[in-house]
Formats: sequence, structure tokens, C-alpha cells
Amino acid sequence: MLEVKNLTVRVPGFVLKDITFEVKEGEFFAVIGPTGSGKSLLLESIVGILPENLAQYSGKIVWKGRDITVLPPYRRGFGIVYQESALFPHLSVKENVCYGLRYLKISSAHARERFNLVVERLGIGPLLERFPARLSGGERQRVALARVLMLRPRLILLDEPISALDPLFQDDIRELLQMLHREFGLTFVMVSHNLEDVMHLAQRGAVMHRGSVVQQGRIEDIFERPASTFVARFVGAVNVFPASLEGRRAGVGPLSIKTAGGFSARASGYISIRPEYLVPVLEGHGGSQIENCLEGTITRARQRNFQMEVGLEVQGVRFTALWQKDEALLKRLEVGKVIKFGFSPDHVNVFSDE
Amino acid sequence: MFPQRNRSLFSLWFFVFSLPVLFLLFFPLGRLVTAPSPGSLLLAIKDTEVQLALLRSLLTSLGASFISLIFGTPLAYLLARRNFPGKRLVEGLIDLPIMIPHPVIGIAILGLAARDTVLGDILSQLGVRLLGTYTGIVTVLTFVGLPFFLNTAKAGFEAVPQRLEHVSLSLGAGQWATFFRVTLPLAWRSMVLGMVMCMARALSEFGAVIVVAYHPMLAPVLIYERFTAFGLKYSQPVAVWLIILSVTLFVAMRFLSRPVRDW
Repeated sequence: MLEVKNLTVRVPGFVLKDITFEVKEGEFFAVIGPTGSGKSLLLESIVGILPENLAQYSGKIVWKGRDITVLPPYRRGFGIVYQESALFPHLSVKENVCYGLRYLKISSAHARERFNLVVERLGIGPLLERFPARLSGGERQRVALARVLMLRPRLILLDEPISALDPLFQDDIRELLQMLHREFGLTFVMVSHNLEDVMHLAQRGAVMHRGSVVQQGRIEDIFERPASTFVARFVGAVNVFPASLEGRRAGVGPLSIKTAGGFSARASGYISIRPEYLVPVLEGHGGSQIENCLEGTITRARQRNFQMEVGLEVQGVRFTALWQKDEALLKRLEVGKVIKFGFSPDHVNVFSDE
Repeated sequence: MFPQRNRSLFSLWFFVFSLPVLFLLFFPLGRLVTAPSPGSLLLAIKDTEVQLALLRSLLTSLGASFISLIFGTPLAYLLARRNFPGKRLVEGLIDLPIMIPHPVIGIAILGLAARDTVLGDILSQLGVRLLGTYTGIVTVLTFVGLPFFLNTAKAGFEAVPQRLEHVSLSLGAGQWATFFRVTLPLAWRSMVLGMVMCMARALSEFGAVIVVAYHPMLAPVLIYERFTAFGLKYSQPVAVWLIILSVTLFVAMRFLSRPVRDW
């Protein structure tokens, strides 16, 4: 449906390099990466709003088989919702929502019907006469979505739509996006650096780093099977080690760690393990069946949200674990104490390349 | 927090050094405004010559500010939104009228219509004369006032977030529609302010005007004439009326362009 083929965009001080990915109809696709990786530039290139004198293009953006690389934004039929909503401050909510209607060739009865549906589904009825300055962050995002939905866009591009909101409104907008995706079958491309949003909403995605796509695929795969140390660390698989790989074993320093996959020849590469997959092994709590069972010294233990982030050192190799707070466990979490922990070979991700 | 005493001393120093500036700005004007008696002010405004000079000043400077609006807006927008070769040079040239001695501006404008130049020939064939005409006066007033309009309008366009224009484009509006539905409604106050500043500059212009047209006589030229012919006492009432006219006009325009909606 949307194909970005070898897209290179040069703007002063930044280059988007050879971007290739595909978004299928009805899919929720996430472009993730740290700040400054080129995510928003990619989004603006897809919408077509980069000034000609500022950007130099090569490659193609194809929509349903048609090359739209040089098509002006007002002919593309894509909607964009920015982090800061970008509502027109001089227009009321109603005027904002109806802004694009005059460019659609639909009857006024049809427009009214669509307006009523959008207002009802997004719950913005009581806001219609207000001006954007008098709206909360969550309300603004609802109005920005309504403004886009009025046009029944082929594709909705979301530029960090949730991150700037108060935590109170974040769930609200997340659920709203999920509802729109489910009920209206809309296609979304969302740019975000918030992993929670991505996990919650997207099915597939691409990870960007310094203007390039470094990994793409199913979101689960990106989180569970990162293909480089950068992606591993970015998606929170902080236990990344260079390893010598042979058979079903990875040698990390003096440690020999069992892996799920096998290697016929001796090779060098990396392994990553998500901190959630490291489990404490306490007496009387089972855990003896865990294959990779290690004994480590606690180097740090601090609260992170409702979990404990625990630093563990095993023969000079440093691990980080995220453990649920548990009374029996909390008693044991004292810096300098030795504790047993383990992880399944299935949770050891092996990759060859930086 | 640092001690209150230090803060007070800091403010006191700044206040003391501000006094000469405030004195220089307000004392001569205050003295001027209060010098003529109400009777002499009334007498001056009843004088047809004074009325006509003020009216001419008002209309020609208003004309200059409207010309700046019509022809300056596209350039201000381009400077705010586009990059092009020589942009810095254009920005430098715009500020030139502020720096050049004003009689030089008058001479330069008259040079436009010189008979031995191509432009002069064209203007002559079209029947356009600059020397001693309203056309000449409005031309020099536009020349001196334009930088004020351009810089203020440009700042106004720059203050409109480009994202709003992008959103408008993505919602199906073309570039013209985006300009008239988003950019202009958000920048018009700056444009009005630019017009006010352009007009203020034009109303007060004397050096360039006197080179191009002694007659028809504008208020600053009349003030000068009365000062040289009859002295300070006779020029002051006309000067006060020019100040009253300017202040009234600017307060009215600022009032009209104030934000009325809460955004």
C-alpha cells in the first residue's frame, strides 16, 4: 500500500539515508528511534511538506502503485497529527474540525453526517465552540484527530501523538487510537520514541538510527530479537554482551550461557537478554529447573516505577534485572549480598553484527 | 535568594542611568506640547494652510503605508519563509533607507525620473512626474517607511508556526488557501503594526520630501517654513497639531489591531 523505496532526503545538517519499508492497508506501523534519528523528517517526507528549496530527494514514495514522491501534500490525502496538535489557534474547535471539508467533493448532507459521527466518536461535542487555547492537551489531540478523520484520509501519520501529554491523558489517547484503528480500519504510521506506546498500538515497525532504518519487522521481534547492539539497548534489552558462539553455547567472558539456537562453526557475535527475563531463584520458590542459573553479587537495587532494577555481577560480567517487588525478594536485595538468578535459553537473543 | 538590599541597589543603578534617556525623550516633546497657549492652538487649526498641510501629510503617509502593505507583504513573506540566493543581501538592502541621509533619498528618487535614463523616459511617456507632485512625495515616503513595514511584517510571518501551514496543506488547502486562511489571520496584527510604523516614519519625514516637493506642502515642511520665516513661536502650534494627529492615529490603529479573542 505505502512503499518507501530507497528514499534519501538531504536537508541542511541531516541526511535521511536509503530508507525502504512498506506499510500494508489497515496496519498500525511504528517508526521508532531516539530523538534526532530522522523520524519526523521521514514523516514529513511521506506527507510531502518539506519545502522544495530545503530538501533534496532521491528514491520513491509509492502509494497503491502510484509514485507520489513529488505530489503536493494537498493532493496526497494523508492526514498528520503532531505532538503539539498544531490546531489553528484563531479558529474554534468546530472550525478546526471542518477546515478541510471545503476541499472535499461531498454533499453538505454527507458532510454533516460525517461531522456528527466524528464528533460523537471522539467525544468532542461539548468543545465545539471553544478555542484551542482553552483546551487540555488530551482534548487538543482529540480535536486534531477529528480534524484529520473528517477527511477520511487514506493514511494517518502520527508524530509523537502521546508523549507530550499528561499521564492522565496518555491512556485516553492510546485507547482512542486503538479504537479508531479497530473500528474504522484506518492505516497509521506513528513516529515515537515511547516504547510503551509502540508496544500498545503497533503491529509492525522500523527502528531508525542516525537517518537510517536499522531494523524492521514485527514489533515483538524488534523487542525480543533486536539485530544490533543499538536496537537492543534502545528497546530496553540492556544486557548486551559480545560473545563467542559455538553449538548451543555463548561464551561471555568466563561464563558459558546456553542459547536456543545452534551454531555449527565457532563464531563471534553478541547476545542480548531483556532485564525482565532474568528471574530471581529463591529457596522454596522453585527455579532450580532454570537452565542458565547464575550466582551474582548485588551491585545496586533501586526502585523503577513498580519494579526493582537490580544490578548483578557474575565473575566480572554485569547484568541488569527488573524484578517485581515481592516481600521475600526485597529482604534479599542488599548491595553486596549474593543472590541466585537465571534465564531461559529461549530468552537469549543472538546476533552477529553491530 | 540573594539579599533584597542587593536587588534594590541593582534596580537603583539602572533607574539612575535611565533618567537621562527619559529626560531626552520626553522633556523636549513635553515642553513643545505645553508651550503654545490653547488660543494659539485653536488659531493654528483654523488656518486653512495648516489644515491642508496636515491632511496632505495624513493622506500621503497613509498612501505610503498601503503601498507598503500591498507590495511589501509578498517580500516580507518570502524573506520569512524561503531561502534563496542573495537573501542576506536583500535583507541588508531593505535596511538601507534607515541609514542613508534623507536628502540623499530625495535626490536618488528624483534621479529615477531623470530624462537621460531609460526609466525616466518611460515615466515621462506615461506622464509620471516626481518633482513637485504627490507621486513624488508618496514615492519618497514609501521609500523611507518600507523598511519598518517589511521588518515588522517579516517578524509576524516568522512567528506563525510553519507546522500550521503544513497541517493546512495536508488537509487539502493549496498554498494560496493556506496563506489566506492560516498565515494571514495569524500575522495581520504584525502587518497593521508594520503599517503604523511605516506611517509614523512617513508622517515625520522632512529631508527627502523637501528635495522632491516643497509644494504641495506637507506639515513638516510647513513647520520648517514657519520656523524659518516667523520663528519658534509660530511653528510650535503646527508641530503640536502634527503630534496630536500622529498620536491619535497610532493609538486608534493599535486599538483596532489588539487581540479580541482569547488565543
